[in-house]
Formats: sequence, C-alpha cells, structure tokens
Amino acid sequence: MRAIRVVPNPFELVPYDADTIAGLAAEAAALAGFPDDVSVTLEIDEVLPHPLTGTFVEVTPEAERAGGTSHLDVWMSGANFEDPKRPVKFQEELARAELVRAFLRAADRLRPEFAGAVGDEDLSDRQRAAWDVWTEGRAERLGVPGTRPDRLRYHYRLHHGFNDVADAAFDRLWAADALSWDDLERACAETAAADTRARPKKTALRKEQLRAPRPDAASA
Amino acid sequence: MRKIFPPNELARDERFVRTKIEDRVFDPRNVALIERDLGSAKLEPSRPAAADRARSLMHGIFVGEIQALEGAGRTCFDFDDQEAPFSLKLDMARQCWDESRHVEISVKLGEWMGSEIGEFTESTFLYEAACADDPVMRLCGVNRALEGLAIDVFNTMKEFGDVAGDPVLEFCEDWMLADEVTHVKMGSDWLRRLTEHDPERRNRALEFQRTVDKIFSLGGFRGESDENPVHLARKFRRMAGFDEAEMDELVEISKQAQADAEAMATAAAEGGGAYGA
Repeated sequence: MRAIRVVPNPFELVPYDADTIAGLAAEAAALAGFPDDVSVTLEIDEVLPHPLTGTFVEVTPEAERAGGTSHLDVWMSGANFEDPKRPVKFQEELARAELVRAFLRAADRLRPEFAGAVGDEDLSDRQRAAWDVWTEGRAERLGVPGTRPDRLRYHYRLHHGFNDVADAAFDRLWAADALSWDDLERACAETAAADTRARPKKTALRKEQLRAPRPDAASA
Repeated sequence: MRKIFPPNELARDERFVRTKIEDRVFDPRNVALIERDLGSAKLEPSRPAAADRARSLMHGIFVGEIQALEGAGRTCFDFDDQEAPFSLKLDMARQCWDESRHVEISVKLGEWMGSEIGEFTESTFLYEAACADDPVMRLCGVNRALEGLAIDVFNTMKEFGDVAGDPVLEFCEDWMLADEVTHVKMGSDWLRRLTEHDPERRNRALEFQRTVDKIFSLGGFRGESDENPVHLARKFRRMAGFDEAEMDELVEISKQAQADAEAMATAAAEGGGAYGA
C-alpha cells in the first residue's frame, strides 16, 4: 500500500487517528485510479467543525519539483470526516467517500485534458460545483457508499440556479464517464446563460475560504 | 396524566440523537476557531459550505418546531383555568396546529435541500424553556424569546432563499414567518393581560425572557453584524409587539453572550480537554 503523509500527526483537537486516515486515503487513491508514483500529503484542518466542510487538491507536476516526481497536496476540513450527529467523532464511511472524491479530482488534474483548469482556490463556485457533480457521479458508480445526488443537487443549484437548464446539466454531469475541463466550462456557460438571478453588485477582493492563509501566500 | 413533562422523556425514534449545550460550549476547537478569520458569518449562498450550513440550520428549525409543538401542547394541559384562561389555551391550541404544519414543512424543506430527519443533533433547550411552572414565564420564554428567535431565523432563511433564487425555500419560510409573528404577538398580548395588576410577576417573566434570549444567542449566533449568522429581524419583531428599546437590549444580550462564550472557550482550553499529544 502506498505511503501517504497525514498532517497533523497526532491530532490535538479532535480524536482522529492519522494512521487510520492514511490507510483510508491509500485505499481511496487506489479506488480512484490515482497513480502510485505521485507522492501525497494530506492535511486535515482539525479546527473546523461540521458543517464547515471543504476540500482543495493541488498537484505539483514532476517538472516543477526538485525530487523528480509529481506531488499531490490535499487540504480537507476536519468537518469532512466528522459525524454530524456526534461532535468531534470520526465517521469512517464519510471519510472514505470524501477521500475518493478528492483523489478523483486530483487524478483529473493529472490528465492533459485538465491542463487549462485553474487551481482549486481560484475556481469559481459554479466551476467547482460542476466538477463536484461529475466527481460524485463517478464515485457512485465506483460503489462508494454515502453518495447522495439529492444532497449535491442543492449545493449545485445554489451556484448554477434553480431552473430546468441547470437541472438537465446536472443530470448530464452526474452520468458522464469522461469529461475535459472544456466540457465543464461549456456546462458552466450553458447554466450561466440560463441563470436569471441578480449578480452581486460587489465582489470580494479575495475569495472567502475556510482554509487559513498559508504563510507563503501571506508574504507573497 | 402527569403535568410538567420532563425533557428527557420526550418521544423520539432512533433517528434522533440528542446533544447538550455544554458539548458545543466546551468543544476543544472553539478557541482556535475564534482565532481563525473565517470572514462574515452571515448565511449566504456564496459563502464556503453554504449548502451544509443551510441544511444544518434547517434541521435546527425542524427540531425546534417539534419542541415548540410539544411546549404549546403542554401549556394547554399543564394549567387549570385559574392559572391560564381558556382563551389563552385556545391560542396555544392554535399554535399547536401551526407548529405541526411547520414540522411538516420543515421535513419537506429538509428533503428539498438534500437532508433528512435526524441528520444532525437535537438539543432540547427550547422545550426546557417551556417547562416553567408559571404560564406567564412560558409565554415570555417560549413565545417572546424563542418564537422571537424563530422570526430572526426564518427571516434569515427567507433572505437566503431569495438571494439563492430558491423559490421553494423563500416561499415556505415567508409563510412560517407570518405564523411566528402571530405567536410572538400572542406572547406579548398575554404577558400584558396576565400581569396587568402584578408588575412583580411581569418583571420576573421578563427576566426569564432575558435569560432565555441570552442562552439562545448561542455565543453570537444571532445579532446585527456580519459576525452573526442570523440577523435580528426588527421589522417583523416590531409587528409582533417588540419596542425599539427591547430590540436594542436584545442586541446587547447577544453581544454579551458572544463575549461569555469566548471566555468560556478560552477557560475550557486552558483547563485541558483536548486530544492527542
């Protein structure tokens, strides 16, 4: 089984076990078809409670790394693994599903068809929601328990609109086997054209995120 | 049949998991969470994890409606006609009908949002406020404090539905909001009538209301700044019989509750209670 570095180890604020999570992550990577020769660091933000969920994946290609191999950094909110009914309690089924989703999207990022995709932190809500739908649909077909189209549909509708065009795009994204970044962009353009909701007059200078700013980002 | 039914014996099936307010107050993550700049706490579709936050709040509304139904039902039964006039009980019976409708609406809204009954925890402190042995206290604690909070929450969810373009959520919340204004007004009217010649009883009841308001501010849950997920709905509260001074006081109570919660979180962290190393 591949080695995955989990941060923090040990956890200090929640009773999560880094070795258990590393094992689940390795299984999830295999199920998602994520290549073995890419090293992985999985950072769990143990400060965030349910419902403050979130995931970012970031792939650094081989050419940009001194070690000569590609690397994947995954950031996940601790809330992604937390039983909604029992604060601070780790829920394994939830963790499995969240990890498979993260590795499916990370595997997408390694494909040339996703070369044009901006980094996770710069994705618009619409782009991210569309990608999440395609990801969750694939996870369901892989037999991952806990995949819920109704649940994701609400998240998707918040960003694509409550209308028939958006719903039809959801169904196509969910059922798709192979898509490219351009396909996701086209789906987003289609739902944006049908979206009659008022746009916010002001946009934030920095997109709001649950993830704490990284020291290097702050000094840049 | 016994009167003043204890909260721990409320009928619930296996889907419901109960939590205590202390679990939230003494969560070891609280201090670090307070220190983390998460931006505005206002419930908006563009905020991270908006769908999960909205579902969680919707489930809180759902269990709150069940308990409001149970509380109003108890008030119909727990007092004789000397303690609580028959017309007050008629109002409470009407409220039971409203609350049961709200429970059904909330279940359907939860499904619409991709949630389900029992997905989140239930804490019974709403019902606990309905266990006071004086009907005037119940009217202040439940109808004025908690149904008042319901006005704020429903208005927040209605605005969320409006901004998100979710016609179902916006419409349902608007209808429930109308009922809540009536429930709060019932509390305001009966408080005035039952304590017309007993200012001391009125003061006791209003003090109880302040206590409940503080508990239900949940460390900054409700207020008037972007730090508060739920905003005070002044217009609707005015319609329900609140005056400006009462609403200003409520804002101060919420600020105090937030400061208290932060102090408790810090004290809990200093006293240990974390995991790992």
